[in-house]
Amino acid sequence: MTPAGRLLRTGRRLWAAGGLTIAQLRHHKLRLGLAVLGIVLAVLATTLLAGVGLGVLDTGQAQFDAADRDLWVTAGETRLTAAGGGGFENSLQNSRKVADEMGTHDGVDNTVPMSFETVYVATGPDEDFRTFIATGVSSGGSIVTINEGEDLRGDPHYAGGTYEGEMTHELLLDRETARDLNVSIGDTLNVGGSLAAARENEFTVVGYSPTYERMLGTPTVTIPLSELHQITSNTGTEPATFITVSVDDDADVEAVQADLQEAHPEYEIRTNSEQLEATLQEQVLVLAAAIALVVLAVGAGIALTVALLGLVVYQQRQEFAALKAQGISASTLVVTVIGQGLIIGTLGGVIAVLLTAPMVDVLNRLAALVVGFDGLVQTAEPIYLGGLAIAIGIGTVAAAIAGWRVGRTPVLEHL
Amino acid sequence: MAARSGSRTDDSLTPLARAEGVTRRYRRGSEPGRVGRLFGRSTPPDVTALEDVSLTITQKEIVGLAGPSGSGKSTLLHLLAGLELPSEGTVTFQGTDLGSLSTRKRTRLRLEHVGIVFQHFHLLDSLSARGNVALPLVELGVSKSERRHRATELLERVGLEDRVTHRPGELSGGEQQRVAIARALVTDPTLVIADEPTGELDTETGLTVLEQFERVADDRAVVLASHDQPTLDIADRVVRLCDGRIDEEATVRL
Repeated sequence: MTPAGRLLRTGRRLWAAGGLTIAQLRHHKLRLGLAVLGIVLAVLATTLLAGVGLGVLDTGQAQFDAADRDLWVTAGETRLTAAGGGGFENSLQNSRKVADEMGTHDGVDNTVPMSFETVYVATGPDEDFRTFIATGVSSGGSIVTINEGEDLRGDPHYAGGTYEGEMTHELLLDRETARDLNVSIGDTLNVGGSLAAARENEFTVVGYSPTYERMLGTPTVTIPLSELHQITSNTGTEPATFITVSVDDDADVEAVQADLQEAHPEYEIRTNSEQLEATLQEQVLVLAAAIALVVLAVGAGIALTVALLGLVVYQQRQEFAALKAQGISASTLVVTVIGQGLIIGTLGGVIAVLLTAPMVDVLNRLAALVVGFDGLVQTAEPIYLGGLAIAIGIGTVAAAIAGWRVGRTPVLEHL
Repeated sequence: MAARSGSRTDDSLTPLARAEGVTRRYRRGSEPGRVGRLFGRSTPPDVTALEDVSLTITQKEIVGLAGPSGSGKSTLLHLLAGLELPSEGTVTFQGTDLGSLSTRKRTRLRLEHVGIVFQHFHLLDSLSARGNVALPLVELGVSKSERRHRATELLERVGLEDRVTHRPGELSGGEQQRVAIARALVTDPTLVIADEPTGELDTETGLTVLEQFERVADDRAVVLASHDQPTLDIADRVVRLCDGRIDEEATVRL
């Protein structure tokens, strides 16, 4: 036979094997539907769990990006605390004084101490109190984004460290928290570090700000720093989680960082990315969980896909054995099986990828409702591509292996 | 039903397939692995399905294999078709020792020279009668139009011209077996083997199928295994097997 004739014959065989693949799939619609459903679930498990892993890392990055600051000053560890659903430990004492000192350095534009405390919040002194994270800021507009309403009127209560200035009794909420508490601009809330303090301190909602809700990934109330210290009885030590530093526009961030570090060796001074890294390094369990989720998700997706396609092929073992007995070659059978794997994998993968975005949305709404975290699950192009790769790539490889085994199995074993 | 007569010519005496001193043993269960051996699991005993059997199939003859269940009829059929190899002895097809061929070459040999009719039909539910009959031609690279033509022609010959596009699930047992017979013949094989071809059919249907089988087999060599006397009646000779050996006394030439 001439090479052209051989090629034509092979082409006809492949075409007919493709036809057999389609016929087998179309005839067993229930089996096809269940196999595709299985792949969809396997890929969704992969993309969604990987999305959770990515969300953990992405939320951390967003926290620091959202603050739009150049340097972060901490004293010791910056651990997330479990109390109240999140927030950092306030291990930097006398934050006002330290911030003022750092503000005098060359290249430093401004310094802002930032404190995150767990507080009790209720819509009235006799209502049920709930815990939220309160963010204390020492100035308003420069670091807080206002969606609606007005900014805080500064921090007059501090009054040069005397804490004798007028308390504004104003706060900002993120929209989610406002909805959750069923309050809007102009309404009042009782806020305090203890139940007693909360019953005594009434604050008015003056605006909506998403800044710290995005940064912490949890519902927050934002109030002037001195008033936060006042209602949490911390005016003596003025603790803060960070002092954030903005450098002059023409200043070299790394040079300013080095100067400040030399002048204040007792503190850790980091850039945005270093701070995120440091925070995450101290969250080994969180990171390990995120990585484990991704690895488990991918592993489970692969295992499910392989098992499913193996089963689909196994169900046809008798038919394939009969074909082989009649002289149909192992290669034709393998092509038929690979075709089935490719079609099932592609259908399952595409459907799963299309469902990923709405499922992420549903999960995020659910997470916001239950635990208060926004953007818990994130998706990205590599996640979609990974899901497709598992469904199509692994599906095809799994089918090929199953087909190869069918081709090698003695004919009479299944007849 | 009368045996095919008057079909023998000189070349009909040429050996087509031959089993010489063939023994086939099977192992009961699997070989122990390393861990199994470590825990003292011994190699399972063998069972002998065929022992020292010699048989020659010549061109154009119909040979019936008779005998009780477990006598080795199916095993001998499988060996002659190259579906498995003997533990001892040789099986040759057109002078070629099947044991010397790779699995791939034996598969090819079956495709080109051997048609198989199973007791349980083994048709693909997803394909029409014509699609099932034409399937072996796919492997030979025959064009679609030629496949359709040959398959339709054979289905007409077995009396299924009005069932060409029906799927196996829409056909009776007798019709399915006729489709299987057409499939076995579509590559124009020199040897057709049939294992209990009427085993799944009632007596009347079985007779109808046999008549058509005999008619469409033309001058091909046919080896069929059966318990059923009417089925064996179409054979030129019947070889009786008992406990894996040929019972020479009972071999009948019709």
